[in-house]
Amino acid sequence: MGIVSRLVTWARIKSPWIVHFNTGACNACDIEIIAALTPHYDVERFGVLLKGTPRHADVLVCSGPVTRQIKNRLVRIYQQMAEPKFVLAVGTCSCSGGVFNGCYNVGGGIDTAIPVSIYIPGCPASPNAIIDGVVKLLKTLEPADDAAPEAATGTGS
Amino acid sequence: MAEEALQQELVAAFPFLAGALRAPRARRVFAEVPAGKATEVITHLVTTAGFTILCTITGLDLGDTLAALYHLARENGVVLTLSVAVPKAKPVLKTITGFFPAADCYERELVDLLGFEIEGLAPGNRYPLPDGWPPGQFPLRKDWKQESLDPITDMTMEHRNG
Amino acid sequence: MADSCGVKIPIGPQHPALKEPESFLLTLNGETITDAGVRLGYNHRGIEKACEGRSYIQDIYLLERVCGICSHSHSTCFIQAVEEIAGLEIPKRGLYIRTLVAELERIHSHLLWLGVAGHEVGFDTLLMYTWRDREVVMDLLAALTGNRVNYAMNTVGGVRRDFTADQLQDVLKATDILEDRTKHYIGVATEEITFVQRLTGVGKLSHDDAIRLGAVGPTARASKVERDVRRDDPYAAYAELEFNVATSDTCDVYGRAVVRLVELMETYKMIRQLVRNMPDGPVAVKAPRKIPAGEALSRYEAPRGEDIHYVRANGTDKPERVKVRAPTLANVQVVSHMLKDGNLADMPIVIAAIDPCFSCTDRKISLRTAGSATAQPVTWEDLRLRGIAWHRARGIDCTRVNRRIAEGGRA
Repeated sequence: MGIVSRLVTWARIKSPWIVHFNTGACNACDIEIIAALTPHYDVERFGVLLKGTPRHADVLVCSGPVTRQIKNRLVRIYQQMAEPKFVLAVGTCSCSGGVFNGCYNVGGGIDTAIPVSIYIPGCPASPNAIIDGVVKLLKTLEPADDAAPEAATGTGS
Repeated sequence: MAEEALQQELVAAFPFLAGALRAPRARRVFAEVPAGKATEVITHLVTTAGFTILCTITGLDLGDTLAALYHLARENGVVLTLSVAVPKAKPVLKTITGFFPAADCYERELVDLLGFEIEGLAPGNRYPLPDGWPPGQFPLRKDWKQESLDPITDMTMEHRNG
Repeated sequence: MADSCGVKIPIGPQHPALKEPESFLLTLNGETITDAGVRLGYNHRGIEKACEGRSYIQDIYLLERVCGICSHSHSTCFIQAVEEIAGLEIPKRGLYIRTLVAELERIHSHLLWLGVAGHEVGFDTLLMYTWRDREVVMDLLAALTGNRVNYAMNTVGGVRRDFTADQLQDVLKATDILEDRTKHYIGVATEEITFVQRLTGVGKLSHDDAIRLGAVGPTARASKVERDVRRDDPYAAYAELEFNVATSDTCDVYGRAVVRLVELMETYKMIRQLVRNMPDGPVAVKAPRKIPAGEALSRYEAPRGEDIHYVRANGTDKPERVKVRAPTLANVQVVSHMLKDGNLADMPIVIAAIDPCFSCTDRKISLRTAGSATAQPVTWEDLRLRGIAWHRARGIDCTRVNRRIAEGGRA
């Protein structure tokens, strides 16, 4: 891949910007997501920053089983994000609907509305599991040969 | 005990309640109130008998009738549940938002989920169902089937795991 | 759109196709909120209907997840009604363990709230420190029950796990640490001028209005409404505990903070009583799978206030009806009253002060000028930052205290 895309990838690995969205969850996962940002767990040491707006985010972190009334907004938020973009489904409800699967007002998991990159189960997903998921996502972004951008020879693009 | 005293108090005020009361445990009384008498009884309870707390209103589908259970409480911890039944074909009740503004939410639930008609309820947003919910579909009715709703999901399988 | 302070309010993207109705529609006259429309139902999932199609045991797991902060509250409130209908007498040790978990849940909830309140007014070091300390009780609950949230402690007839003497000692040790930290936060809440100023006089709710509008929990108690289900309508082991009901007469957000902090101190007292007087014996009785026909109304003092479950049984292994009235539903109906005649800058902290579900902050907010037909969408984060900037322009600024604490290493 060319030097510009390597730089972008390097920047993104170093500091993915995330936006968080609750699609009808009970809030347990939302709290664990925020707990992951607090000093005890400190996901910010990976350079992860919580951003308010989808337009600047690389990663959409979702909780909840996608209620009827929220589904369109979830899709809009996903559409607002620039490529490449990734979706983390946090918690069992986001993965499959969880205990709410079958409830009349619930879609049953984030991937019933938008594509999901990483599924993090748990009820709620613990901060450790969330960080594990974020790290796994970052690993999938790493270029295959692991060389730093400055060392790139510029051959091949 | 407080619940026995309350039963006596109620029968004294409303003789038609004799035989329609029971106290299954401490601090709990259940009463069946004819629909036509509901407003009179609630007015008395709120204005004279110290029932200043509306816990909530529960709606029930009993087959041919729908019932609204008004759970009212006193400061001393006694909860009185008034069960008011109306025909399912014409399930009309009067609002109690004049006594309890918070009843607004609980009465809208009766409307949305069971199909009650609440007279005197101020115009406002529905609760709790989303806009666009098809009319005539009352999820808490016993004969309501989820299959009568459009599925929420319209993603094809190819879009999963993108 | 620039306001009189010269602060630009970022306008969110316009989506004509967006069907989600706004949850908060605020009408403004300058910076003053003249009317606040609150629309509910964003989180409606269809739980009550689902309860009718599942067994009582399955419903415990479903109802635990009504709210991710008060999971034990909903689980216990429900199971109390079921046990009453079934005529079960729960062994004392089971009730004590249930109560112990309930009070531990109160600790995690109130510390969480304190951090959130700090965040809403820009006092972010308070968020970091309270949530760090909250991990003490989270770790304890995980060690005792197997999970940080959703403890699955209840079954029909009692609790599913017993606690060992060593575990109870761990509870006491954790309580000592948490009490020490809470005393510190009481100091912060009373002595940090900027924090006090941001919370005082804001979100006013008179005693009479609190009663008339049906406020519950710390929100009501901060308006001197002395109601607490644990004392007024005791359940579990509360009839055997000595504790005070915390109230304040300031009728504002500051009072709601003070009440929660004082409640924490009362909780530590209760926990020590529960451990000291923990009875021996079984923790559950055998319960029938089918619950006889009957009905019961159960009440519980959750961290946010009175939680109510009504259960109707029909002789099968599935309930005929389950009705849940969570405390936030009572308090959110008071919010528009508390916002009226207040500053837009205080909207986030006024709403946060009733301790609502987090998902409130994801909801759509619209602002419009009185008399105008069009409303501008804003995000919660926009309003939070705007509120901090507005107060900073008036000399109330948490930046210095954040810096001081971060450098000094102590909160």
